[in-house]
Amino acid sequence: MKTLIIIPAYNEEGSIAAVIRDIHQHAPSVDVIVINDGSSDRTEQCAINAGARVLTLPYNVGIGGGMQTGYMYAKQHNYDIAIQMDADGQHLAEELPKLIAKAEHYDLVIGSRYVESTSYRSSHLRRIGMIFFSGLVSMVTGQRFTDTTSGFRAAGPKVIDLYSQYYPIDYPEVEALIYLKRKGCRITEVATEMRKRETGKSSITPLKSIYYMVKVTLSVLMSAMRYDRTVVSK
Amino acid sequence: MAIYVLSVSLAFAFLLIVLELVRRQKLKEQYSLLWILFSVTLLIISFNVSIIEWVADQLGVKYAPAILFLFGLLFCFAFILHLTIVITKLTSHVLRLAQEVTILKEREVSHGQND
Repeated sequence: MKTLIIIPAYNEEGSIAAVIRDIHQHAPSVDVIVINDGSSDRTEQCAINAGARVLTLPYNVGIGGGMQTGYMYAKQHNYDIAIQMDADGQHLAEELPKLIAKAEHYDLVIGSRYVESTSYRSSHLRRIGMIFFSGLVSMVTGQRFTDTTSGFRAAGPKVIDLYSQYYPIDYPEVEALIYLKRKGCRITEVATEMRKRETGKSSITPLKSIYYMVKVTLSVLMSAMRYDRTVVSK
Repeated sequence: MAIYVLSVSLAFAFLLIVLELVRRQKLKEQYSLLWILFSVTLLIISFNVSIIEWVADQLGVKYAPAILFLFGLLFCFAFILHLTIVITKLTSHVLRLAQEVTILKEREVSHGQND
């Protein structure tokens, strides 16, 4: 199985090298591509030195546009599996084999912080948001997800193709799920350990989290109405 | 009477400016159509104010100039909505282009290394 790890990075010079080294150590056979989303620091150089291929976007296109670039690359180079990982080190490379193993039987595998017991603990507010989105997504798709905002995901060929065509621009995780379900994809979750972020800080401020909730809720409802339900998986 | 001369010449000047912009290719024909329609309407109303009074009467509006403000505002809203639709389309085109260029650039670099 030809596997590609997609790591979108925006000003992550402090952590990117360690993430890439971890991947090479735990999954030596996979290719790593870093999507440098118009960083102003040395992210590109750090990633190249650590042995990854780098796609540098000419301006900051946002997380969704960057991620989609990775999927477009995966499609053009005929990868069987594309795995998206964060550049800040919160996703652990030793969990990769779990995702890859499951990816042979599903179109999308999500590394979840909450299914079964993992040691991940988060703030109350964040927890409430997670529960709200889980409820919303279950309502719209009829499938229960424990961690709808996880950015640790493995995609098969069908999803690589779908994401190359369309991927939401900002705060994309939840809407990207609905989109796949509407297109008849088989999705599952596996429990994965996650680490507290090592460098940098969360971009979410109180005001942004309100925008986040409203924007994601709207986009979920819109995408639920956009695609018809009749498409069934093969 | 001065106000009639003023409003007619303003409307006429506006129409001329729009047409001149299209001639110089500073404004695309498809976007100019709404403006031409707007300035022609303005011109007609300036020539014949009784049209406004007639419309106001039909709609039961007591203060006729209010009709002007109403349709002026509605036109602005419609045009701004049209503009944000255009911006949305442009944004997604630019994004797609940036993505394609980025992938092409990487391919060129990696092929260069192989040669």
